Amino acid sequence: MARIIVITSGKGGVGKTTCTANIGMALAKRRRKVAVIDADFGLRNLDLLLGLENRVVYTAVEVLSGQCRLEQALVKDKRFNNLVLLPAAQNRTKDAVTPDQMRQLVNALARVYEYILIDCPAGIEMGFQNAIAAAKEALIVTTPEIAAVRDADRVIGLLEANNVKRIHLIVNRLKPAMVAANDMMSVEDVQEILAVPLIGVVPDDERVIVSTNKGEPLVLSETPSMAGTAFDNIIRRLEGEKVPFQALSVPDDNFFSRLRKMLSKKVI
Amino acid sequence: MTSETSSTPPSTPPVEVNPPIQVRLKSEGGRLVLTLPPESEATDANASLALSWGEIWQQFKQQLDAKERFWQPATSVDLVVNDRLLDNRQLQAIGDALTEAQLQLKRVFTSRRQTAVAAATAGYSIEQQSPAPVTPLNQAQTEAGQAMDEPLYLQMTLRSGTEIRHSGTVVVLGDLNPGSSVIAEGDILVWGRLRGVAHAGCKGNARCLIMALQLEPTQIRIADVVARAPETPPAQYHPEVAYVAPQGNIRIARASDFVRQPAPEKTG
Repeated sequence: MARIIVITSGKGGVGKTTCTANIGMALAKRRRKVAVIDADFGLRNLDLLLGLENRVVYTAVEVLSGQCRLEQALVKDKRFNNLVLLPAAQNRTKDAVTPDQMRQLVNALARVYEYILIDCPAGIEMGFQNAIAAAKEALIVTTPEIAAVRDADRVIGLLEANNVKRIHLIVNRLKPAMVAANDMMSVEDVQEILAVPLIGVVPDDERVIVSTNKGEPLVLSETPSMAGTAFDNIIRRLEGEKVPFQALSVPDDNFFSRLRKMLSKKVI
Repeated sequence: MTSETSSTPPSTPPVEVNPPIQVRLKSEGGRLVLTLPPESEATDANASLALSWGEIWQQFKQQLDAKERFWQPATSVDLVVNDRLLDNRQLQAIGDALTEAQLQLKRVFTSRRQTAVAAATAGYSIEQQSPAPVTPLNQAQTEAGQAMDEPLYLQMTLRSGTEIRHSGTVVVLGDLNPGSSVIAEGDILVWGRLRGVAHAGCKGNARCLIMALQLEPTQIRIADVVARAPETPPAQYHPEVAYVAPQGNIRIARASDFVRQPAPEKTG
């Protein structure tokens, strides 16, 4: 049976779409049949992050209005043909679809694909209701900031009320150095508030920005990165493997601190 | 200097046949006619195509801004709402926005009693049937061999999410940003950068052209042929023309060379 997972956060800009793109791509790399759905009508981004923007011909709205078949709207990934994207319409708003219609789309996809990942828009209005309508599981993305954690907490409550009980937590954009200096909430702090099982910790990584701009999810990169490995670990845990959490306490090992060290050596 | 677009078209080329769902503002015999899309579609299978008041309002404001230069102050405006329900507040909002643009809302054409009452209360004169020159759009399209509408001239930047549909040629004085689209029955001329989606000859006329000062589209479509921009963007841009070659694929030529070529019309 297909696993229908919504990726949500409540707050905007914490990395929902980046997580969706990377998790989807990592699953596809493992030869799973994956469909990623962009539920962010009017502000779609998932196609950009996957580098599929210029292949979008039809969107979910056209499928629902009967202008095309579902298969026509699915955009096959250019690297893995077992990954497809169902794009959202860019020229409409969240009210263009209803939770029932969303359920209809997801259930049709669930017959063919093993994983359905739904990229939820920020907020808890119509777009959120649509995104979670068909979901059986949820991945909550949060950054270690009180605002993001507060919103995540609210969203977990809403998910539970909507009968999505299998909820896992991703702590995104963690800066180990700041945590060590007691300037940032630690993973434990976040977990203490949210009290849902942790599935991954993604360290802050500038390469995420580079990969986003290139439309190449980080998990595809040849050179391993901390964030890329974190996403790989998340999908292994998602598939039931026991994977120990990465040790993220190497605060001095990023490019800038190395550069700074090098420079200070030369100057002095 | 003819270069072929690098990518192969997706397997399912689109054929746009749905009636334009768009607010229209055009001049007719010294007056301006503002037409709102019909509401009747909302009842059938195309439910998700019907525009909400919010979307209509947004389109109306955009149209008003884009054409500001084309009318004299104090031009009178006919509002054609057909079967759409408008309440006092909405009519008032339209009237105010027109006044702000130095236009005067004079008459309201409606087939709904409630709208007529609301318009009468607001002091506009009512016409209970559609005026002869303004046939409902969806009706006009069923007739075979229909002449195209007058070109639509827009002075605006089309930002992400904006979609312009027109049954004729579209001229844009400004840029098409990524995420925006123009769907025209005729040609599309962009005096600016074309970076969104352009679909010329959407009713199937493969002789239609797309031209832009800087052609770097997400996607271009002419009739039922689709092309993507090459993965590696050229170092320099020239004014270019996109047309359908006799071989049935989309080709790009420099504007300066295009006029000297044998006319592509021969492909018929």
